[in-house]
Amino acid sequence: MDKKILIVDDEAHIRMLIGQTLEELEDEGVEFLTADNGASALDLIQSERPKLVFLDVMMPKMNGMDVCQKVKKDLAIDDVYIILLTAKGQELDRQRGQEVGADVYMTKPFDPEVLLSKAKQVLNLS
Amino acid sequence: MSKLSLKNVVGRSDISADIRAICKELDIEIWIEGENGKVLMGSPTEQSSSAFPISFGGETLGWVKGHEKGILIANLVSHLAAKEAEKKSLGAEVLNLYQEINVIFNFSEKLAETIEPDAIARVTLDQAMHSVPSGGGIVVLWNDDTGQLEIPALSGERLFNREKIRKNTSLLFKIAFSGQSEIINDFSVLREKGIIEEGVQSLMYAAMKVKHRIMGAIILAGRNADQFSAAHLKLTVTLALQSSSAIESAMLYERNIREVREREEAILRIHEVTKKFVPNEFIRSLGKDVITDVKLGDQVEKIVTVLFTDIRDFTTLSEKMTPEENFHFVSSFNARLGPIIKSHNGFINQYLGDSIMAIFPENPEDALRAAIQMQRAVYDLNVERITNGLSPIKAGIGMHTGPLIMGITGDESRMDAATISDTVNTASRIESLTKYYKSPLLISQDTRQHFNGQFHFRQLGRVRLKGKHKLLNIIECIDGFEQEQLEKRLSTLPNFNEAMSFYHEQQFENAIEIFKLILAKDPDDQTVKFLVETATHYLEQGVPEKEPGFS
Repeated sequence: MDKKILIVDDEAHIRMLIGQTLEELEDEGVEFLTADNGASALDLIQSERPKLVFLDVMMPKMNGMDVCQKVKKDLAIDDVYIILLTAKGQELDRQRGQEVGADVYMTKPFDPEVLLSKAKQVLNLS
Repeated sequence: MSKLSLKNVVGRSDISADIRAICKELDIEIWIEGENGKVLMGSPTEQSSSAFPISFGGETLGWVKGHEKGILIANLVSHLAAKEAEKKSLGAEVLNLYQEINVIFNFSEKLAETIEPDAIARVTLDQAMHSVPSGGGIVVLWNDDTGQLEIPALSGERLFNREKIRKNTSLLFKIAFSGQSEIINDFSVLREKGIIEEGVQSLMYAAMKVKHRIMGAIILAGRNADQFSAAHLKLTVTLALQSSSAIESAMLYERNIREVREREEAILRIHEVTKKFVPNEFIRSLGKDVITDVKLGDQVEKIVTVLFTDIRDFTTLSEKMTPEENFHFVSSFNARLGPIIKSHNGFINQYLGDSIMAIFPENPEDALRAAIQMQRAVYDLNVERITNGLSPIKAGIGMHTGPLIMGITGDESRMDAATISDTVNTASRIESLTKYYKSPLLISQDTRQHFNGQFHFRQLGRVRLKGKHKLLNIIECIDGFEQEQLEKRLSTLPNFNEAMSFYHEQQFENAIEIFKLILAKDPDDQTVKFLVETATHYLEQGVPEKEPGFS
């Protein structure tokens, strides 16, 4: 399995939701990894090299913005597609998200259909 | 939810690593096959002595083959598969709920942006059709104002017949207004009546209501049997209820806006009408903006110029006309003079048949300029009348400047805008003197004193008004005559002043002599003719003792 998706959120039900939303990709050979904080996420991104990361912004230890900044700017890992997820209406975050190099910015509650189609597009799955 | 796949369970790197570690610990060799015999883990040996099923929910997902202790691995993987299935099922439920929340969230956002009832109905139907797999749908709403069932939204395939719905409202009424929400199994009547198309196999409706008042319903139809589930109904009911409050608020909002607009228009109409009866200027003079602010006893005193005008010999003139012609004549006369008054900052306080009383609150010059223009307007009117074979009319204008009280009199049930002032009486009296002096435009000295050289006047005499001790100087303004006449009056003005001096000193012979000189140059000067007659009369009969105006 060379296609990995990392789901990072400190809330278990959100991790489960995203996993469930993307469930059908398992049959395409996609492996799911999860992390409940920014530090673990950073470790997993470096060790497992997922193609796609769903990254929550508001998390303890290291927030999603910092993880993204570290990955995209400091470590210059550019073959990972990072989707930042945060609560609706935090417009300031959107700008900050662009600054730290996030590829896409999505708001929660997310639309499951949009989430799935985005994942398929990033992983080149039909 | 996708089917539980053994490949996905044992394919996970953490699980496969654990299984390998256990086998190593047990010192056994096994491999795992899927139900179709495809190897998912390990390598098959030639001798396959034992095979243990991996099962879940009575179904065999695959096999653990090889060593006889492989049964332990089969049991472990069965257990993990059960856990995985449980997790998937839970995940599916959570996702389902989340999707519902997402639907409601998006829907609420759309509702918040919509304030028009029909638009809300359309947004609701779109959302329902998007969230519930249905072929077609409609929203029916009861309109309290029209007493009709309306269809503000219709979407998807043509599964509903709009015309038939309109014709069979009572039938739909039963469904839409039962207050129930349900998946209907027997809709043969609707099909017979042609309300729904032949192909419809499933029908579901959700009542739209606020408290216990039914407003309408969302009705969804599908071409497949059992197309709608309880979850679909629940979601549709949620949308219906949410949209009901939104539509209720929108209708209330629309009604309020409409009522406010109607009220405003009514008030505006009342103002439009009332200002024709009581001029705006009158109201404003009282320090109020609108007539509704005015109350009994409101009053203001100020120095104004009061102007009176009327048609001379109107009685004689009116005798030749029918009442209708009479009315028409007076109206058209007033219609010519009214705008002149208004354009000179004056307002008409009263129409009194053939006469007009106007007030110029700002300055006497406004009044005099208006009067001059009015005199010319009468001249123009006469040109038209003569062309039409009618006799010319004569109008007299008189004015006086002085204090005036404008106020609201009457009682609480019947009020009137009134002017109380001696100034009004004086102005009226001066106007009536125009007949006496045969002059079209007379003013008092109190008005005259406000002008310095910009107009031309002739001092006519002094009169004592009824009940007054003070004599009033009567002055004629000649600027309103048409050009030829004006030039003649101006050229004879020095003579006129000289003659008047003799006249006031009762040297009537001298006065008459000069007046006659004037008449030789200007035979149309009716005022001078009148003065000659008067002077002649005084010369023959003597001046009566109480006759005012003589020094």
